[in-house]
Amino acid sequence: MAQMIITAENISREYAIGGRRVRALEPVDVEVAAGQFWVVTGPSGSGKTTLLNLLSGFDQPTTGRVEFCGTSLASLPDFRVAQLRNDSFGFIHQTPHLMSHKTVLENVALPFLYGSWLGSKEVNRRCSAMLDYVGMQELEHRYPATLSGGEMQRVVFARALVRDPEVIFADEPTGSLDADNSGRILKMLRQQSELGRSVIMVTHDSDAVRYGSYRISLLKSKNAVIGAV
Amino acid sequence: MHAGQLVFDIRDAFLGLRRRPLRFFLSSLGIGIGVAALIAMLSISEGAKRKAVEKLSSLGTDTLRVEDSTDALAASGENFQNLSKGLTTDDLARVKSWLGPRGYLGAYQRRDELHMASAEGRTTGTLLGVSLDWFKAERLELSWGRWFDPLDERSAKSYCIVGSQLARELKLSRGSYLHLGGYAATVIGALESRGRLLTEGTGLSALDFDNSVMMVLASMPVSHSSYDLRRLDGFVLRLVNGKEKNVLQAAEQVHYLLQRTHGKVEDFRLVVPISLMREVRESQRLFSLVMAVIAGLSLVVGGIGVMNVMLANVSEQTREIGLRKTLGASRGRILWFYLWNSMVMTFSGGLWGVLAGVLLAYGVQLYAGWEIAFSAPAFVLAPLSALATGAVFGLHPAYSASTLDPAEALRES
Repeated sequence: MAQMIITAENISREYAIGGRRVRALEPVDVEVAAGQFWVVTGPSGSGKTTLLNLLSGFDQPTTGRVEFCGTSLASLPDFRVAQLRNDSFGFIHQTPHLMSHKTVLENVALPFLYGSWLGSKEVNRRCSAMLDYVGMQELEHRYPATLSGGEMQRVVFARALVRDPEVIFADEPTGSLDADNSGRILKMLRQQSELGRSVIMVTHDSDAVRYGSYRISLLKSKNAVIGAV
Repeated sequence: MHAGQLVFDIRDAFLGLRRRPLRFFLSSLGIGIGVAALIAMLSISEGAKRKAVEKLSSLGTDTLRVEDSTDALAASGENFQNLSKGLTTDDLARVKSWLGPRGYLGAYQRRDELHMASAEGRTTGTLLGVSLDWFKAERLELSWGRWFDPLDERSAKSYCIVGSQLARELKLSRGSYLHLGGYAATVIGALESRGRLLTEGTGLSALDFDNSVMMVLASMPVSHSSYDLRRLDGFVLRLVNGKEKNVLQAAEQVHYLLQRTHGKVEDFRLVVPISLMREVRESQRLFSLVMAVIAGLSLVVGGIGVMNVMLANVSEQTREIGLRKTLGASRGRILWFYLWNSMVMTFSGGLWGVLAGVLLAYGVQLYAGWEIAFSAPAFVLAPLSALATGAVFGLHPAYSASTLDPAEALRES
């Protein structure tokens, strides 16, 4: 049996808005094992990003609990959750968040500022190798403003992988890309899952769904439908 | 956190601030002005203090100085019946017997603006008739020749010891004759250069040792009334153990002694340099404190500006904060990162403030002629105050940044 990396049990999320309680996510159970590629789909407002935030420890569920490798995220202090995000999680968002005043290489090296320090030489070596993997090594000294959207997303991809994470969280990673770049990113995500990393991807794109192996279809005000793709 | 990561954070803070150079400059300007004011004020205050201390040190902090003030008292027009004759050799004997071996007591009579001439030239200077211990009490050193001895005192020979400038100017050597207002004396020695007694503001008469001639009291050229022979212009008392407590006690005793023998009439002026020095130090301390409060207030004003700019920076960098948190920055790390930001801002303001303060102080010296002196602690204290201002006023913006919800922050664009 594959090792469970993330386990979410009956997690839901409610927000208080103007004295009213609004449910952003209906209760859902998720078990993500190493090497699995999960796709989260659903209409707008069904709670896809909320689910991703709960699974990655950005937010706490109103009910239920999320565990990473058997440890409840709610029981961890802030710095331990931050450490987890640095060491074990990689993030790719729809908007490629890069620091405009840093070069491509410096952007990819950012996670090393917050994790165990390896020394500048080793950090540069690892970042260059990762940029080579995403086909961006030649542009490592360029600034984000000079890159296309696809190139920026590949830099974000390299940054998500540079600390060798166990889980990659991707929130609409192809949402702002053309077909070529989307295909490239999705193939790389698939490749990472085949290499043993868990991938949890939120998407609207029906073509992107076929890259996953499991699917959570979130529905508004109804329980999610979970199954193989 | 590793030292390398700390260096990156501080470098990042600096580079981040450089992205908006005008904002960076303007916010550090407030701190810079505060620090410049602090440096300039402290250097002016230090200059005044050193001048005062130098002045009082020249009087000797282990000494008491007593001057006759009969003339001043008479000129004041106060209606009093003064049976006292001012300071006399009787007072000298009385104080000397009280003092014993605990110190040196030197008495003098003086004639100012006296014409002096040698074979080589002429000039004007001060003639002092002194007791033998006066040289010891004034800590004077001989450059050449010999001191007066008791025999000179007893025989009232017309010997003199000259100040260094006078010896040079009139080309005097041992055995030279010196004409002192129509009276001749033989030079037996010359003093090492000692400069002037800096008496300004103390109530004492000024004295330039280098431009004076000293004779024993008994051989002073005076009108030969018995009063003139006994009259003294002042005396100086130096304690062997010149601790402040001893000097103050001695001052009290001498004052009591003189007042009692002068029929409780204050026809003398007792000056205790160490006591004046204490007053000067106290008033300078107070002055420095007031200056520091004023400079501190300008730092507070600068700090409020820094806080404002930091709040704007945090608000503009919400997405960046979200990204840093996503990549593993803890709350503490974000808090420190923004504290570094504000401290880099204020510290750089502090550095150029130090430079501006030095220039300002030199400007004051150049145009107002005030004496200035730089003290090392001010150069350490000023940038440190700037750093502390950055830490205090950067705390609120840094805390706001650290508590941002990363998911929400990333949505901001």
